[in-house]
This record gives sequence, C-alpha cells and structure tokens, in this order.
Amino acid sequence: MAGSSAAAPDRGRPARRRDAQESAAARKSEAETDALGRRAVELSRFYSGKVETVPKVPVRSLGDFALWYTPGVAEVSRSIHADPALSFELTGRWNTIAIVTDGSRVLGLGDIGAEAALPVMEGKALLFKWLGGVDAVPLPISVRSPDAFIETVERLAPSFGGINLEDIASPKCFGILEELSKRLPIPVWHDDQLGTAASTIAGVLNALELTGRSVKSVRTVLLGAGAANLVTARLLLTLGHDPHRLTLVDQRGVLHAEREDVDELMLRNPWKYRLALRTNGGGRTGGLAEAVAGADLLLAASTPDPNTIRPEHLRAMAPEPIVFALANPVPEIWPEVATGAGAAIVATGRSDFPNQVNNSLIFPAVFRGVLDARARSIPDEIVLEAARELARHARDKGLSAHHLLPTMEESEVFPHVAAAVADASVRLGIARRPLSHDEYFERARTLMVRSGRLVRALARARLTPPMPRPAARAPRRKRT
Amino acid sequence: MTASNEGAPRTTETQPLPIHLRPARPADVPALVGLLLRLKRLNEEFDPLLKVRDDAEKQARTVLEANLGDPKAVVLAAEGVGSEKEKVVGFVRALLRERPFYSPEWEGVIVDIYLLPLYRRRGVGEYVLRETTAALKAKGAGVVTAEFPAQNEIASRFYAKRGFRPITAVHARSL
Repeated sequence: MAGSSAAAPDRGRPARRRDAQESAAARKSEAETDALGRRAVELSRFYSGKVETVPKVPVRSLGDFALWYTPGVAEVSRSIHADPALSFELTGRWNTIAIVTDGSRVLGLGDIGAEAALPVMEGKALLFKWLGGVDAVPLPISVRSPDAFIETVERLAPSFGGINLEDIASPKCFGILEELSKRLPIPVWHDDQLGTAASTIAGVLNALELTGRSVKSVRTVLLGAGAANLVTARLLLTLGHDPHRLTLVDQRGVLHAEREDVDELMLRNPWKYRLALRTNGGGRTGGLAEAVAGADLLLAASTPDPNTIRPEHLRAMAPEPIVFALANPVPEIWPEVATGAGAAIVATGRSDFPNQVNNSLIFPAVFRGVLDARARSIPDEIVLEAARELARHARDKGLSAHHLLPTMEESEVFPHVAAAVADASVRLGIARRPLSHDEYFERARTLMVRSGRLVRALARARLTPPMPRPAARAPRRKRT
Repeated sequence: MTASNEGAPRTTETQPLPIHLRPARPADVPALVGLLLRLKRLNEEFDPLLKVRDDAEKQARTVLEANLGDPKAVVLAAEGVGSEKEKVVGFVRALLRERPFYSPEWEGVIVDIYLLPLYRRRGVGEYVLRETTAALKAKGAGVVTAEFPAQNEIASRFYAKRGFRPITAVHARSL
C-alpha cells in the first residue's frame, strides 16, 4: 500500500465530490445517533435502570437470615475485625468495584453533574459485569475540588476491591488518579486515561509490526493533549520511543518548551508541562502541518470533526503513514479519505469501521486480572502488559491493515488478557494472591462466562422482560 | 506519572551550567521584554490583582531601558552556552532601595527572575542568586530581598532554602 500511488488519484479528484462523501457519511452518522438516543430514552424509561442487586446465596426461608444476617454474621464481622484482609474472602469485596465520577466530563457532554452521569455509569457497570464478570457499583459523587474527590473515594475504599474512575475532567483526573493510587491499597484505574491509552498502544504495536517499524525509531505526532494522549505519550516513552521524535499538538499548536503558555502549564497541568520539556526535539513550532512533516505515526484523540486532519497532512508524512483518528462519534478524518490520501493503516474509535480502538477491549479484562490476583495497584507495566497481550491475539488471528486489533466479538481474548494482567502483578510483587497462569485463566473465563449465563437465565425466566418494540415513528414506517 | 518522568532531573552543581550571566545590554531589550512578560503572565496566574495590563509590553520596554542606564539597578541577562551562546534565555532585574528608618540602609530587591523552562534547575537558580547578590553588594546593599506573588510556593521554597525569611508582608484588596 504505497502512499504515493494511492494518493495520486485523490489529488486529481474534485474536492467537491470528496466533501459530498464526507457530509453524507456525517449525515448518516448523525441520523443513526439520533435514533439510538431516542431508543435509549425509551428503554431507560421501560427498565428504569440497567443494573440491580441480585442475591448470590440461597434463601430457603427467613430462618436462613440467622446465617446471612444476625446473629450468625457477627462472627464473620469479628473475624474481619481481627484480620481486615479477610474482607476479601468473607464478603463480595473481592469482586466489587466502584465506578466513581464527579460528572465533570461525561462522554462529549462536558460538565453535566453527578445525576446526569448516572445512566453512563450504569452502562459501564453493565459492561463490567457482562464482559468482565465484575460487580461494579455506579457511584457519581457530588464534589467539586480534587481534594474532596480524593477524600471521598478514600473513605469509600473499605467497601471495594478496586476503584474505576470515570469521566473526570482533564487535568484534574491526573492528580486524582496519582494520589488515589498512592493512598489506596486497592487498584485504581481511570479508563479515559489508561483504557484508551492501552488500547491505542495495542493498535500501535501491531501497526508498527505490519509496516516493519520499531517504536524506538519512529517519529510520532499526538494530536490532542487530553487524558488519553498524555498517557499514550507516557507509555510510548516507557516503550523506548525517542522523546525527541515525539511531538504533541493541541489547540494552541505544537507543544514545546518555549510555548507562551508553558509556565501556566507548569502550575495547572504539570503532566503536560513535563512532556513539553521532554518532547519535540529539533524544536518544531507551528501547528499540525509543521508537526506531521516526515512523521510515521499520527495518533489523534482530539475533536470530533472530520476536517481536523486534512489529506495534505497525511501526504506530508513519511511513506506508509499510520493514522489513528480516535475522536468520537466522528473521527478527525474519515477512514476513506485517509486511505485515499495514502494512509497505510487507519484506526478509529468506531465499531462501523475496521480497527476500532476501544477501551472495552481493555478495562473488563484488566479489572478481572487485578481482582483475581488481588493486586495492590495498577502500575504502567500492567497497562502495557494488557496492551501487549491484546496485540498478540490480533497477530495470532492474522494481522492485516483491516485487522489490527481483536474486535469486541472475539471475546475469547478477554480471559487471556485478564490472566496476563494477573501474571504481571505476580511478577511485580503486588499480587496478594499469587496463582498460576492456568488458574487465573480458568477463573477469569468461568466468571466471564457466568455473567452471560446469568443474563440469559434471567431473560428466560422473564425476570428481565424482553425489550419492547421501538415506538413507531410515522414518517420512517411509510418508506417500507 | 512519577517523579522519574521529570524532564529536567535535579542534579548536583558539578554539571556544567546551561547558562552564563552577564550585564544586560541595550541590544538585549527585545528579548528581555518577551521574558519579562512571561514572568508577569506567570504572576497573573497567582492573583487577579496581578492582572497584566494591555500595554505591558510597551511598559516593559520603557522600564528595562530606564533600568539599563540606572546605577541603582542591576539587570543581568542569562545567555545559553555552546551553540546557544547568542540566545538570551533568562534574566534577573534587581533594584537598590533606600531604607530611611532601618539598618542596613540599602536594600537590594530582586524584583524579577525568569528563566525559560529548559534552563531551570541543575543549580541554575543558585548561580543566578549568587551573581545577583554579589552585584547588589558591590553597589552597597547590606540586605538582599526578593519580591514575588505570595501564592508562588515554588519561589517561597526556593528562597527559604537559601536562608531568606519573610520580613514584611504586602496585603491587598481591590477598590
């Protein structure tokens, strides 16, 4: 897939036609999103929530409560009081996590507050159960300051085996994750940072493999310097990427050590500041156009506008450029347009194009792994291990420009990723319950499969009613 | 991100310094104006009463030009070393102030210190302070002081570490 030959016809093609294609795709996507939104409201009203508490012990009669509750339970409490670690054995703590948000950056909706974040956290809890067999409690909290957030979660921690932070604005999300990881004896994860970065890294590893490149010698441009890309940059550097060959670009252009806002970053966003000092060797300045010249890899996690990356940006890159356009719901460039401009590999955040970079490929398995190993934390080594394992499974199935990562349908990868994560925590000496690889794998697979069986059994028993038909929409029905 | 990811690791002074200080010259003024504005914008981050004026650039030029010819002012330019010899990467501005009621009689006030981020740490601050103090002492100062926004904890720590203590406080409220 040579860049120049693929790009040539595109140059000659009238811009009008390309724009028409783009707007048709955008219109289609908007219409679909609207329809899904209406249906989601309908179903939310019908089911009134997506998860509930289900007993996991038999209750034959009220008499059993003498065991499950008082007086019998007092002895269980005494045991835990004597050895708090037993809370992981004698209660559901081992498999229960909190999905905590302050609602300050929910999806693309911005700062919509705790209540409005609840349906999203419920959806995430459902994903955790369905994909990872993890009992996740949606827990939006009403706090404003990072300190209040940290303190609240610290106080909640005794009830949980792990904490999943969700939809917290950047840059405060960095400090909150750092501080909670330090303070809590249980794993803390922020999906918008780690999940997205890990799945991106998995895709990058395979894209480099496919095009015969090494992470140690590529030139990379990261477009967007929010939660995901700042962590992607950090992980790339950990993998041995030359900081001088890495350039970040945000709304103000190339991030560099002498940019006008660099002191402000030092105070407000030290994570970005450190990268400003360390990256962009050769002192590029300007915008995306200046940054991409000669780059091998363009990783965009920026604004959902298909004109953010232009074909001429890709033509300025090295031959066989790799483009990840991860903005949702609309990528920074339509894959078709990117391929037309010479991109050898294109990935997006969407399931309707090949190569979906999806954090759902990562987070359920990571939590399954750290919960089963009872890991104390989730260091970057574990994040990278999850990425490597995911990448390996795509390779085993046959790597191509259209199969860079496993799809969500290839669910057999999840227990493998979980076991790899658990193994890594044993290697790092942070596992409180070291088991063998096979034990971790079997455990993960059993728990993951159980969730599916549970959901289906509840449906068969009519305990979850079948989905009602969509409410009729007159103008649409006439067409068929 | 851990401390090990820091761009400029804190090391000992045995490493060669990345800057060289010399008295500022009129030709430095354009570069100094840019650096002074960076410092004032940094100060603005600490307090709304330190909001930078629209005409700050013109003011900076006027003030710097006046200081360069003033025997009661010390303006030192920090230039890079090696291939960056000609590049002004920081500066310090200090003023001699008379103390009519206190002893010592002359106070050397460091009003501005700014270095571009890549030229910080590695003992640079120490060196700048030493050179500035020496220049002020040569002009007759018996005490050296530093002015900076009260909320600037980085500056507080820097000076406290080097034996400075708060002696007067300026409290403000807008009218």
